[in-house]
Amino acid sequence: MKDKVLMKGTDALAEAAIQAGCRCYFGYPITPQNELPEYMARRMAEVGGVFLQGESEIASINMVLGAAASGVRAMTSSSSPGISLKQEGISFLAAMELPALIVNIMRGGPGLGKIAPNQGDYYQATRGGGHGDYRTPVFAPASIQELYDITMYAFDVADIYRTPVMILGDGMMGQIVEPTICRKRQKIDLPPKDYILDGARKRPSRIIRSLILDTLEMEEHNWKLKRKYDLMRGKLPQHEEFMMADAKLIIVAYGTAARIAKGAVKRARREGLAVGLLRPITLWPFPTQAIQEIAKKVKHFLVFEMSTGQMIDDVLLALGGKAECEFYGRPGGVVPTPMEITRIVGRYWVQKEILG
Amino acid sequence: MDRFSVFAPRLVEKAENFTSGHRACQGCAEALAVRLVMKALGRDTIVAMATGCMEIVSSPLPTTAWMVPWIHVAFENASAVVSGCEAGMKALMRKGKVPEKKITFVAMGGDGATADIGMGQISGVMERGHDMIYICYDNEAYMNTGIQRSSSTPYGASTTTSPAGKYSIGQHTQKKNLPQIAVAHNIPYVATACPSFPFDLMQKVKKASSIQGPAYIHILSVCPTGWRIPIDESIRYGRLAVDTGVFPLYEVVDGSYKMTYKPYRLRPVNDYLKGQGRFRHLTDKETGVIQDRVTKEYEGLLKRCEGR
Repeated sequence: MKDKVLMKGTDALAEAAIQAGCRCYFGYPITPQNELPEYMARRMAEVGGVFLQGESEIASINMVLGAAASGVRAMTSSSSPGISLKQEGISFLAAMELPALIVNIMRGGPGLGKIAPNQGDYYQATRGGGHGDYRTPVFAPASIQELYDITMYAFDVADIYRTPVMILGDGMMGQIVEPTICRKRQKIDLPPKDYILDGARKRPSRIIRSLILDTLEMEEHNWKLKRKYDLMRGKLPQHEEFMMADAKLIIVAYGTAARIAKGAVKRARREGLAVGLLRPITLWPFPTQAIQEIAKKVKHFLVFEMSTGQMIDDVLLALGGKAECEFYGRPGGVVPTPMEITRIVGRYWVQKEILG
Repeated sequence: MDRFSVFAPRLVEKAENFTSGHRACQGCAEALAVRLVMKALGRDTIVAMATGCMEIVSSPLPTTAWMVPWIHVAFENASAVVSGCEAGMKALMRKGKVPEKKITFVAMGGDGATADIGMGQISGVMERGHDMIYICYDNEAYMNTGIQRSSSTPYGASTTTSPAGKYSIGQHTQKKNLPQIAVAHNIPYVATACPSFPFDLMQKVKKASSIQGPAYIHILSVCPTGWRIPIDESIRYGRLAVDTGVFPLYEVVDGSYKMTYKPYRLRPVNDYLKGQGRFRHLTDKETGVIQDRVTKEYEGLLKRCEGR
């Protein structure tokens, strides 16, 4: 217990990044993630890193690109409208196969939306987001401890697969304060950075670029990226199961929505309804296989999101018609209570006559 | 200020085009600046506003403080959107769908929207020569998101992303000189203003609106919250900024400079710096550096005003 400290989401994320060896942070103000650059502005000076506030989101993501090309662990963070501006840079990072961490503390949208928590950026995050044929691994933590641990892990994933990685939180994840254990980084074997641009002394020069005019070469580049994404699909998926052993109805939710759903599951259990929760921790690659396994036993799914329904597509794809799937969403920055979800679960339970 | 002998309040329009009831902080000089600007512009105005304090405080749906057509767009886009408005109205007037009349097109943004993220598009709108005014409300940081530094933050100021402490004196770069960037575009009218000098400000806005082509007005808007000064001191600090030469009031009409308010003798910069929380950590040596720079820049400006 002694090691636990009360930490705000954004601060925990920043501290974890520093513990993971991130020494370059590039940001731009946008609510609700401002505490992250503010924390970095102080901390980077202490650890001898670099904190830079760019003149725009486009500048900051391209600073990340530059830092990654020179071999430093670099990150940036923003919130929904800012992430839209960063998409060009993320596409370039993916094409150039440079590791980086991008944090999206989602807020309401579209447009400038509002600053309340929301999960409307699921498509943008999991489908690549920018132009071209690429994907980025996306992690959606649901507690501050997990946010801390996943941030460290995300840097390793980025280095192993040479890819930009995204952490998808929302206003709630960024702002809540929870006891957290600030673990030290565990060293793992990472591939040598044999692509970085550090001056061609006594070795052939290296080129990092994304413009490949030769069509066949470009095709090969695309297939190479595809092979990498397939590798990630096999190795990365993570999910959490909660009270699923005897469940007849599974709620699928991620991030803040999953926290609410967990409360709803506990309430529903008190009412005698056998409800469980499946929480994808990686949104891309999606835990498709886990859902397919569960669909062999359970025939009723309820997807709950703080959007009008985006992750439900991935759940439906995973189910492939083998189970019934309903959706409940609250977009626009509304954070429903567990009570509300319990009511929805109860209604669904009765409508579908789940117990026969 | 050359017509100051007239009892000016009688000449000021009574109608409020930026009405009360908005949510600006107590003592916000930026809200005052917007109010004066809108008084000067009148109702035949279309405003595009970048995200920032003024947008947030004045337009929480379904209420609005604006009595003119007003559109809010993302941070970097106000100047581009107002070019679209101007082009659109031009087309409608040409087709006869809207009666021909003088409409003032105004883009407004804070110093972040102007000096940082929107710089490219502002340059574009000035180069294309749209008949519009760009007004920058400069409170010297991103106050809306919680006092982060911008490139308009002055040297030595402590903000949340340029914190002063053992490793840093706070903002370590100099304030970007936006009026000079505008002048470099060879646009017909550039001016600096401050709501502590209301008649000077309104006169400049009226002049900008009467001139054909792009105009740029840079307004220093004292922010008690971000500058960490008492809320009843914002007018005084605006005056001090001008009287110390930190923020001289001048206008550039077709390339020729004119000082519109010339203090009899400049006060020491320390008078301006010492009361502000954001400069509290500065030592005499550092304020000396700031004083030298202010004097040098002020003298340079005087030379330009004398046509040398």
